[in-house]
Amino acid sequence: MSIMKNNLSGARTASKQSGPRRGPRKAGFGPVAAMIPGVLFLAAIAIYPTIYSLSVSLTRWRLTTGEDPRFVGLENYANLLSDSSFWNSVRVTLVFVIFAVSIEFLIAFLMALLFFRGFPGDKLMRTLILLPMLCAPIVVGLLARFSLEPTFGIVNQLMRSFGLPTTEFLGSTELALPTLIAIDVWQWTPFLFLIFLAAMQGLPEEIIEASKLDGASWPKIIWHQFLPLLQYPLMVGILLRLIDSFRVYEIIFMTTRGGPIDATSTMSWQIYDVGFRSFTISYAAAYSWLLLLLVLFTVNLLIRRMVPKF
Amino acid sequence: MKTTKNRRSIRNASVSLAAAAALVLSGCTAGAIDSGDQATDSDSGSGSGSGEQVTLNAIFLPATWGTVVQEQLAPLYEQETGVKVNVELIGRDAIHEKMAVLFTSQDSSYDIFNLDYNWIPEFGQGGHLVPLDDALTAEDKADFLPLALEVATWGGQLLGVPQTVHPAVLWYNSALYEDAQTKADFLSSTGQELAAPATMEDWFTQVKFFDGRTFKGQELSGWAAQAAKGYGNVHTWLSFAFSYGCKPFNEDFTESTLSSSPECLQATSRWAEMMNYMPAGANEFTYDNVTAAAQQGTVATAIQWSWGQFATDIPGSSQTVGDWSITEMPAGPTGISSGHLAEWVISVSKYSKHVDEAIKFSVWLESKKNDVFQASNGGGDPVRFSSYSDPILTDELLPDGETARFRRHSVVLSAMNSAQPRPFFPGEEIWETTLSTELSAISLGERSVEEALARADEAQNKNLAQ
Repeated sequence: MSIMKNNLSGARTASKQSGPRRGPRKAGFGPVAAMIPGVLFLAAIAIYPTIYSLSVSLTRWRLTTGEDPRFVGLENYANLLSDSSFWNSVRVTLVFVIFAVSIEFLIAFLMALLFFRGFPGDKLMRTLILLPMLCAPIVVGLLARFSLEPTFGIVNQLMRSFGLPTTEFLGSTELALPTLIAIDVWQWTPFLFLIFLAAMQGLPEEIIEASKLDGASWPKIIWHQFLPLLQYPLMVGILLRLIDSFRVYEIIFMTTRGGPIDATSTMSWQIYDVGFRSFTISYAAAYSWLLLLLVLFTVNLLIRRMVPKF
Repeated sequence: MKTTKNRRSIRNASVSLAAAAALVLSGCTAGAIDSGDQATDSDSGSGSGSGEQVTLNAIFLPATWGTVVQEQLAPLYEQETGVKVNVELIGRDAIHEKMAVLFTSQDSSYDIFNLDYNWIPEFGQGGHLVPLDDALTAEDKADFLPLALEVATWGGQLLGVPQTVHPAVLWYNSALYEDAQTKADFLSSTGQELAAPATMEDWFTQVKFFDGRTFKGQELSGWAAQAAKGYGNVHTWLSFAFSYGCKPFNEDFTESTLSSSPECLQATSRWAEMMNYMPAGANEFTYDNVTAAAQQGTVATAIQWSWGQFATDIPGSSQTVGDWSITEMPAGPTGISSGHLAEWVISVSKYSKHVDEAIKFSVWLESKKNDVFQASNGGGDPVRFSSYSDPILTDELLPDGETARFRRHSVVLSAMNSAQPRPFFPGEEIWETTLSTELSAISLGERSVEEALARADEAQNKNLAQ
């Protein structure tokens, strides 16, 4: 054993003295110092608030009382998990995210395929398609509210002119959430479309030509060539939309305010409601942490499913 | 070679440290500039008394009483005193949020806030507002409507100067009520003379009669009121609740008593029943929807703020100019007629650096002259008794030269005697949110009145326990 140890240490010494350099060169303090501003900035705007919100979530603290926060351990989390409105908000959020992102993905992918080969006027069309994405969500919410208003809204006016009944898009428990999903799809499909089209245009033309020569049909080319090659851009697009959808707030604020009843009360909306209407900031912090965990879990699950080797 | 590399490393490290230091210091400098600005501010205006110049920062609601202050009264005050008042107009919820956040950090950026009175207990309990008892003279206090002062008071201290009141009242289309054919039809249909309803039963009969009829080419709905989830449906419901004698809480606000109160159950049942006679889409109705329906003449009656009737008299946007009249809330089974009170007050932040100047401006805004000025310029109904008999208001006519512009004021004054405020305790805003969800469930037919009120009690009692 001791001989072996001696041999090993001898080999290390030899390697240090005369062998070729293996691994990265020693870089000194420079690169580390260069990172300091970034790390400080990150610590100030992300790390500290995150840790602070965790500590707040373990207290009882209502902003307007003028009293200091009081440590209560996991009480807020326990209350949340036994609160039916919390579980309703989880359900609403998941329904919103799953349907909105799936529909956006499908439409965006099909549109990207359509624009991939180009057609007369495609550049103008492409610009027009991107317009909804350029609107602020708060403006989209306002437009939706006025357009879908039952008495004076343009959508219902048009429906009535075609003999269709007045419909409460935002005031019905059945229609409110699908309507919000439709608004989200209208606004954010162009974002995925842009990512998918850019990724498709970067595909090597030879692969498509070779597949065609082999007699592959377009559906087969899409399934066997496009999808595997576009795996990463697709995943990035979906993840970005997924994370964004979990945070949906503005259109709810401008349209339904979580109603009717609690049909559109997502977790983000509930966090706002608890945090900034009743100012129970500690409860809102706990809510936020559970939302964060849900987002992390979902994103992780999706990455593992879509890209097993990731 | 090694020396050169070391030198380069040292140089890199120095540059990085300098950059980091600059970043950190820039934050400090920004703070310093900020403080400097504040200091400059306090030195830049013209002082009143001490020679020190002052700039006040105020937040008001973007309603007519906010725009009157921003566009007319604040500039006038600067001319008179040299004190500049920056008035920002932001939405109701945003004011509430901003106040809570600023007060928590004891921020002095804003000196004056326009408050919905139900926030007075909340911010009063936290000790964030300056008591104004000594700022008003005894003569002033006697001139203010008692209820207006009462809801600006918490813990025995006056924490806001009332700016405008608007009790909920019953609007009715007097052109419709005076139409000979309609009156004859009503008489033959119900056996009663058509007149502005005095009781809930009379009103309900009329609402059912009007619903679906056509008047001046418009198909009518029986009534309209705010019904959207949020504060809208709660505020409408409160007028029913008060007129039925419902008390949502026990005396000391330690228990929600909705489901155990026969009056609350009765009031809610009537409210829910009447929701069937509102226009399509009523579950989303906000203040603006109700006003628009009145302007278009598509509703026969409405529960709405007294002050809102201005909008129906604007020729450019209303097809019913001069048609609408108001009366007090119809009385419930026990003879009580009581509308829900809305009021906005002006409060001074405890963290203001110019408390005295802020108090002076707040009091000046509601001087006798300015109370009339605000009302005359569309800034809501006055808060002083004297304003209701001021010729500037009583003599003003609509462009038709016949209809008094402030014809509703006598009813407003009378309604202020019976109006009731929202439950006046620090957790009212949370209570509204809780109750609103359940009222929304009732109006959509998802829950029975009993079930919804029991759920509201349970949720509210949980809030109270926390």
